[in-house]
This record gives sequence, structure tokens and C-alpha cells, in this order.
Amino acid sequence: MFRFVLRRLLLMIPTLWVIATLTFVLVRLAPGGPFMSEKEIPKAAKAELLHRYGLDRPLHEQYVTFLGNAARFDFGPSYKYPDREVREILLQGFAVSAELGGWALLVAVLFGVPMGVIAAMRQNRAADFAAMTFALAGVSVPNFVLGPLLVLVFSLTLLWLPAALWTSPASRVLPVIALSVGYVAYIARLTRAGMLEVLQQDFVRTARAKGLTERGVVVGHALQLGILPVVSYLGPAAARIVMGSIVIEQIFAVPGLGRYLVVGALNRDYTLVLGVVLFYAAFLMLLNLIVDLAYQRLDPRVELS
Amino acid sequence: MSIGIAPPGSVVAAPRPARSLWSDAWRRLRRNRMAVAAGWFLGALALTAALAPWLPGLADPTTQDLAKGATAPSLQHAFGTDELGRDLFSRVLHGGRISLLVGLVGTLVSLIIGVTWGAIAGYVGGKVDDLMMRVVDVLYALPYIFLVILLLVFFSKSLVMLFVALGLVQWLTMARIVRGQVLSLKHQTFVEAARALGASDAAILFRHIVPNTLGPVIVYTTLTVPAVILQEAFLSFLGLGVQPPNASWGTLVSDGARAIALFPWLVVFPGLAMSLTLLAFNFLGDGLRDALDPKGRRDSH
Amino acid sequence: MRTPILVALSSAILLLGCSPELARGPEVNGRRYFGSLAAPGGQILRFNLGTEPELRDPGAMSGQPDGRFARLVFEGLTTNDPRTLEPMPAQARAWELSSDGLTYTFHLRSGLVWSDGTPITAHDFAWSWRRVLDPATAARNASLMYPIAGAEAFNKGESHDPASVAIATPDDSTLVVTLVQPTAYFLFLTTYYAFMPVPRHVVERFGTRWTLPQHLVGNGAFKWTYWRQNDRYEFEPSPSYWDRANVKLERIVAYTIDDLNTCTNLYKSGAIDWNPSGYIPSSYLGYMKPYADYRTGRYQGLFFYSFNCTRPPFDNVWVRRALAHAVDREAIARDLLKGSRDAWGNLVPSGYPGYESPSPMRYDVAYARECLTRAGYPGGKGFPKTSILFNTSEDGRRIAEAIQAMWKRDLGIDVELANQEWGSYLQATRALQYDIARRSWIGDYLDPNTFLHLLTSDDGNNRCGWKHPRYDALINEAERTLDPARRFAVLAEAESLAIDQAPYLPLYHYSTIELVKPWVRGLYSNALDVHPLKHVWIDHQWREHEPLAAEQER
Repeated sequence: MFRFVLRRLLLMIPTLWVIATLTFVLVRLAPGGPFMSEKEIPKAAKAELLHRYGLDRPLHEQYVTFLGNAARFDFGPSYKYPDREVREILLQGFAVSAELGGWALLVAVLFGVPMGVIAAMRQNRAADFAAMTFALAGVSVPNFVLGPLLVLVFSLTLLWLPAALWTSPASRVLPVIALSVGYVAYIARLTRAGMLEVLQQDFVRTARAKGLTERGVVVGHALQLGILPVVSYLGPAAARIVMGSIVIEQIFAVPGLGRYLVVGALNRDYTLVLGVVLFYAAFLMLLNLIVDLAYQRLDPRVELS
Repeated sequence: MSIGIAPPGSVVAAPRPARSLWSDAWRRLRRNRMAVAAGWFLGALALTAALAPWLPGLADPTTQDLAKGATAPSLQHAFGTDELGRDLFSRVLHGGRISLLVGLVGTLVSLIIGVTWGAIAGYVGGKVDDLMMRVVDVLYALPYIFLVILLLVFFSKSLVMLFVALGLVQWLTMARIVRGQVLSLKHQTFVEAARALGASDAAILFRHIVPNTLGPVIVYTTLTVPAVILQEAFLSFLGLGVQPPNASWGTLVSDGARAIALFPWLVVFPGLAMSLTLLAFNFLGDGLRDALDPKGRRDSH
Repeated sequence: MRTPILVALSSAILLLGCSPELARGPEVNGRRYFGSLAAPGGQILRFNLGTEPELRDPGAMSGQPDGRFARLVFEGLTTNDPRTLEPMPAQARAWELSSDGLTYTFHLRSGLVWSDGTPITAHDFAWSWRRVLDPATAARNASLMYPIAGAEAFNKGESHDPASVAIATPDDSTLVVTLVQPTAYFLFLTTYYAFMPVPRHVVERFGTRWTLPQHLVGNGAFKWTYWRQNDRYEFEPSPSYWDRANVKLERIVAYTIDDLNTCTNLYKSGAIDWNPSGYIPSSYLGYMKPYADYRTGRYQGLFFYSFNCTRPPFDNVWVRRALAHAVDREAIARDLLKGSRDAWGNLVPSGYPGYESPSPMRYDVAYARECLTRAGYPGGKGFPKTSILFNTSEDGRRIAEAIQAMWKRDLGIDVELANQEWGSYLQATRALQYDIARRSWIGDYLDPNTFLHLLTSDDGNNRCGWKHPRYDALINEAERTLDPARRFAVLAEAESLAIDQAPYLPLYHYSTIELVKPWVRGLYSNALDVHPLKHVWIDHQWREHEPLAAEQER
């Protein structure tokens, strides 16, 4: 177990190195640079800025410096917001994104799993049909359609909830709903499929034969294996939901992390982009590791290798 | 923003499907009324969209009438008009052309790369497999929106680039699925038999093994099309999608979403068209999965 | 079974959205408002500051949101009258101008202190100004100080001696500035953020990080109390400000929201009291005129297209003339922009007293066709493939589409649209890698030269490759001309030449377009979109006072 974790952590290093290098090369190849604006910055000022951030040195030197800094999780100051370290920007944004994503995932699991279980237990009956209708519709309505519709109905017409911002508890409701609906739907589908498969297996039949109630069978035996697909989905989903809720952040003015990925790349804010990409990659890999560990816990048939 | 596609584990390996298995699957699919309806819907939609430029009585989607901008749905304009006075019904149909094209071509790109990559990795195995899968891991860990932005920054934003960009970020899961299939198939007796008969590796892989992975590939492909359509719409929301005067459902929806308090029809109709299409693809994909995967089929107990 | 649900939901939303009541908004005293009318208690102002400021160092920054921050927390020698923009005494209580118009002597107020209690002296101003000019500061707006003798040479690195800049401090409360030539707008300049003092003791201690909330020290009417990036700034009155007694607001919450739709929704639902200019989606504009909380006025800025004069076919003046005269800017302003902006065929915006604009570029299809024929493309035949470059934006795209359609209709020319994201777009215009590009320019100071200088051969912002010796000569001549009337005449001649040669294709005059709740008093539209919030207060009895004529007219 310990050796497994250690090995996986060590394997992350070369992967992260490749990602860092790839990102570095790609952003540097992109046309334009960080100090461009509609109004030309005076030549002397621009030269000074390039010098200040070491951008006037040969590219390979910059690369070595960057790798050394990245290894210490220190990407230097953002070019766009020079009084802040990229690290500070990332952590502040991450705190908000993690809260938004955490709520959304919680909602997704709390609603999605029971929906899937009920659908599986009532296969081909009305409840199944209703749950799967919702699930398919939820997957099919993009959140940038859903978000504005929710605002239109609940904020602008009914005046029940704030139209945006991340301040009061009430302001969290709409972005969390808009973000989680797709995930609720998808988790419901996964749970249903997983449960259907498990419910046909021998040990479940045995449990039934022993006279357990259907509820007892599901809660006591089947659920643990039936939600395995959900568990393996949760890793990448958590990474995406935390890092990639760009649309929701924009519609609801949530000061999260996702925007920096886009804004950083578009502004050629090299340090910020490299920081976000590496942060995302490391976060995703860590989550996948956690998922694998959880998987092993839930399914005794799986061995860690 | 995208909701993930079925994880590799959820597509259960089809054992070497015999001819009767395919006809079985076809029979099962035809019995699934929703999947059939979805298939008809998609067929009709694709046909209408493909023929849109030649349909009689359909307004030109680019003809502007600035004085009649943003009018609500009426008899003259079933879906209303946009800010430039263009007929929204016509724009939704023409947008469907682009969106479906983007979805299909993007999927095709991902299919070609993903199947080839996964098949080779799984078949060759060893160090090559390790390396190829590590590449997939790296690309998986890169935020795809970042990749897409850079691709679009490097290459001018032509439609072709958009296809490639979307395809390039979609092939990873396909590669994993195919690799898993190939791994489980390559030691089966029919493969050994072909090898004993002296077939070359390429022939074994692409004539004998890959055709046997078709079931999961078809299912996953059906689910990739809506995913690509969604991705394109997401890019359009960020202003990076299809460029004017072309419009996809994505650009129509995201433009409409910006005026929702005043002209809701601009988001409702393209959004509806897009959602229904995605829904149909998902129904079809589900139906195919049920049909091609006897274990999970609906009439199994 | 699934489809009906979606259809029902959509129809419900459609009905909601189309319902006239929603779009109409509340009514008070016979006047209709766009936004909800529930005022918050107390003297609190909530508004959208705009895109997150990049720099909070007034000496180095540029841009509207950054400037809004600076004007709250810092104060220069002079400040603007909130309505007329006329320079008024601020940190300086009085000043004298020498008879030759070259030397300003400013007298500081007594007892001025930074928000941490450190006294402010004339040396702080001298140090801050020299810091702006120091190339090491990389100040974006250093050129605004070029009217000061020695400033340009020092900033460009031609002189390395800070003392060569003609700023003197005979005593702690006196600042003497010598100019290169009489500059009518110098007291306007000293209201700009580049001229605001910065706390030397803090800057030297914390370096670039002095502008973080835990370090920053200001001398303005407000103190910065809270910050979360891409969320909001909060301010309270600064107790050490010299005019504290006249500051009425007790709290300011400035959100940093860059999505136009989001902040307009917030205004409509009553979460903010002021949505400033530039943050209302263009699709709304045509429907806003009837509302009492909608305000608009002219702004010193120009939206134009630029032809790449180094590339065929645009190196041919007849091609440029043909395309320039086939654009119906009135239709764009009226229909596409719904009258929210004024069509403008000149290169210099309005609002410079004494400057007489030459005759503008017209919409004249017959003439345009004739030009195209003279250029060798009768009826558009054989016209090479070209494209319009614009940056990814809602309005930019609509306008490009409209112009594309006009050229097709009137000239038979097909142009493509090329949309690039901001960084690539800037790079392409700088490097002249485009055919036709969308451009805009906001004036730096109140003088036509801030626009006309763009087209001189060596201006870094020319970005169209147009070089015209006679034009350069005229601009040069104007700079050397001291008589204001004569100078304006020369500038007008230059503008007329540029309109005739058409390297730029002016389209519309910028406007300030904002939404302000009726209880916000002391906030006025003006040509520079500058709003000193020191004078703003919340009128809880606004229903009795409405309509307040003074604030409705600009």
C-alpha cells in the first residue's frame, strides 16, 4: 500500500516534467507577449519590464529557472498582476473553486446516487423512466444555457436569489445548481448501470435467497460494488469541476480558478498559465490516486500493483 | 464544463461477435422505441440541415435587415429574428449544419487517432505500450481548454482547425477503450490461429482484432458526437468557436444567452435544437450499448 | 415523454421572457426604471469597478478600472469638478502661473498626511513624478509628463540625471514646475493618476508589493479595507483626509465583474447601484432610452477601421476611398448600435472648444463605385481576397458582419472576417499582419493632437503603415505654433488630409453609457468618464426629490 502510493507519486514527477516543458514551449511559441496593449507601451518601459522578469535572457536559461521555481511551487509574480505571486492567486482562486465544486459534487452524489439506485431497482418502470429522463435531459442541456435561464427565472423575474456574486449563502445556490445538474444526471446514469450489473451477480442472488429484503440486499451488498463506476468517475470529475467551471464562474461572477486558465493563456501571462496548468495536472493526478485507493477499499477483487 | 463520456470501465467487452450477434443486436436496437425515434430524429435533422441551402422558402441566414432587428417570433419569422434582423429559424437550421459537421468530423478525427493509437499500444505491448499510454496520461492531465486555446492561437481560426482541435482533445478515451479491448483479445484462440497461419502483425491487428472491438467503439463514438458538439459550443461561449458569418448552435446559444433578459427566443430556440439533438444522440448511444452488450440489456431478467 | 417536458419548460421561459412586465421594470412618479428600486440602508455605494485592475500603483498604471481605484485612494495636486471636469484645488490649495506661461508654482495644503499618519510634503510629489519618468518604473503613461522640461529626455534614457527634470521644491509645501512650452491643459494633467503622489517610505520598503492591501498607504478620500481578486474591493472614508468633513459615503463596495451580462443582471436585480460605462451589453442598448436610470453622453474616443497601407490593394488610395465611402455608418449607429453611439466620419471626436472639424467622410455609393473603377476593379471584378481583422468580441463581430455585407452589396466585393483573440490581434496590428483591422482610440488629454498624432509616420500606435510627409509636416508645424486658433487651423488641415487619404475609416464616436440608481447623488456623466466619488451621497428621500433636473442633464 505505502509502496504503491510512493511509486505513483514518483511516477508523477516525470509526467509533470513533460507537462511543464510542453506548456512552456507552447506558450512561448504563441504570438504576442505579456506586455502588449492597445496603446503601445513606451520602448524604454517595455525593455525594463522584459528585463525585470528575465524575459530578455536566452530561452533555455529561462526554462531552467522556470523548472527550478516550479519544483518549489513558486512561479514568481504574475505579469498581469505584478504585485502578487502566482501561488497566492492560485490558492485564493482555488479556495473558492473548491467550495463551489465541493458543493456541486456533494449535490451530484446526494441526488445522483439515490436516483440511480431507485431507477435500477424499478427498472423499466415509471420511476426508472422519470429518473433517466431527467438524467438524459441534464446531460443534454449545456450549463451556459441553464445558467442564464436560472438567472432569468429566479433572479430577474422572481427576485428570489442573487443574480451573481460569491458573498452570501444565498448567492451560492444558483451557481451550485447550474454546475451540478449535469453531474447529477451523469452520476445517476452511472449508478443505474453499475447497480443493474451487480444486481444480476451470484452473491446478490444468494443474499436474496437468504431472505433479505430487497432494500437490505441493495444497501448491504450491492451498493458497495454498484457505485464503483461512480467512484472512478469522481476523480476526473472532481478535477474538472474544481478547475474547469469557467462558464459558471463567468456567468455568476464567481472569483474562482477556472478563469485564469483562459485569461492567462489569452493575456500571455506566462507565469500564471504555467502555474495553473501544473496545478491542474498535479491535482488531477492526486485525485486519480485517491480514486484508485478508494476503489481498492470498495472492491476486494482489485489489487494495487 | 463538459460532462464526461462513459468511462472506459462502463463499456463491457463484447466477446467476439458472431454474425448472429450483430443481427441480435440489431433486433434489440429496433425494439428500443426511444432509440429508434432518436435515430429517425437525427436522420431527419441531418437531412434537413444538409439540404438547408436548397430548401425553398427558407430565408437566407446571412441577409440582414438592421431596421427589423430582434423581433419576437411571428408568422413571418417562426423563431423571430436576431439583432441584425436575420431569420433565426434559418440560422438554427444552418447552425445545425455546422454543429453536426463539427460533431461528426471531430469525432472522425478522434476515432482515427484513438483507434490506431490504442490498437497499436495494446497489441505491441511492453515498452511501446508504456510510452504510448504515458503520452495519453500527459495529455489527459493537461487542461484541454488550454490546449484548444493554444491550437487556435497558433493556427488561424478556420473551421478545419476547429475540427482538428476538437478531435485532438477527444481521442484519449477512445485510445484507452480500444487498448483495453485489444489487450483482452490478443491472446484469444482466433488470434493465435491467424498467427499460426502466418498472418502479419498488421493484418492480425487491423483485420482480426480491431473489427472485434467494434461494439464498444460504436457506442463510444455515438457518445463522442454530442460531446464534441458541446465542446464547440463551450468554445463559442468563450468566443473561440465557429467564426462568422458561419454560425453553429454554440455561437447562436452563447450570443443569445447574452441577451436573455430582453430577447429570450435567441437562446431558447437554438438551445432547444441543440439539447434535443444531444438528447437524441444520448438515446441512440444508450440504445446501442444495450443492444451490443447482452449482459446489460434491458430484457435480461 | 421527454420532449414535452423540455417544450413546456422552454415555452414557460419564453412566455416569461416575452412578458412586457419583466422588460418594463418598476415605475415611480411616472418615470420608469430599468433596475429594481430597493435602496440599501445607510450611506453605502455599490458599483461595478469593471475588469480587475492590473496595477494599483497610480504612477505605473493605465486603464479605466485601475484609474477608478487610484482616484478613490489617492489624490493629486488638482482634482476634477465632478460635473464640468474643471481642475479644482486638491492637495494643492493654490497655484500661480508665470507670465510667460511656462512655470507653475503649487502651494500644498498644510497638515497633509498619508493614511498612516506620515506627513506629505512637496518632496513626495517631486519624488513620485521623477519615479514615473524613471525608465525603471516602466510607467505606461509617463509620456503625459512630457510637457515638463527635461521629462522626455529622462524618460527615454537620453539623460540619466533625475535632477534634469525641471521640478523644484524650494520648501516643504511648494512645488515649482517648468514646462517646455505653454500647455493649456497642464492643470488637467495634474488630476490624472500618473501625477498622484505615492508614499515613498512604503514603496521603498515593500518594492512592487507595496500595492497589496496590507501595505498600501494613500492620501485620498477613501481607505482600502478589503480585497478579493475578481470579486470586490471595499473602501471606507479615510479619517486623515484633509476634507473628511465633506465625504458623505460611509462605505463603498466595488465589484470587479468583466462579464457585461452578469453586471447588468446585478444592476437590474438591485445588487449594485451603478453600472458604469462600457458594461452594458450592446443588445440591450436600443431598449434602454426610455428608462430614467439610463444615462448617456459623448466620450472622448473613436472607433475606426484601419487599412494596412503597406499591402496591396490598400496601398492604392482609390481602393481605400472606395471602401471608405461605401460604409453606411449612420445605419450602423442607428440600427446595429440602436442609437447608443453617434456615427462619426471625422478622426477627431467632438468636445474641443475652438476646434472646427473639417468635413467628414460621407456615405456615397456612387462615388465609392467610381473610386473602385479608378482603382482598376470596376464592379468589384478582380478584387483580391482580403479580410477584416477584429478581436473576439460581441460588438466587433456584429459591426464587421454589417460592413462585410455593405461592401458586398454596394461594391460587389467579398471580404472575409478574421477573428483573433486579443493577444494575437494586438500582435497582428502592431506587425501590420492584416488587411483591414478594427481599431479604437481613447484620448489621453483634452486636445485634438491626442488623436491626430496617431497617424504620424513614427507614432508607435499608427499601426497602418501610412506615411505622408505633408501630414507629418502639418503636425510638426502645429506643435511649434503657439497661437491656439492658428494651431487648431493647422491641425484641422491635417485631419482633412487624413480623411481624404483614408488610411483610417472612422465609424463612430464613443459614448458614456451607464445605469445609475435614482438615489445616487453627485455622480455625473462626462466626456472623460471620470467620477470623483468623494462628492457622492445616497438620497433616501429620492422619491420626493425625483426628478432632479440637474443630474438628468449632463
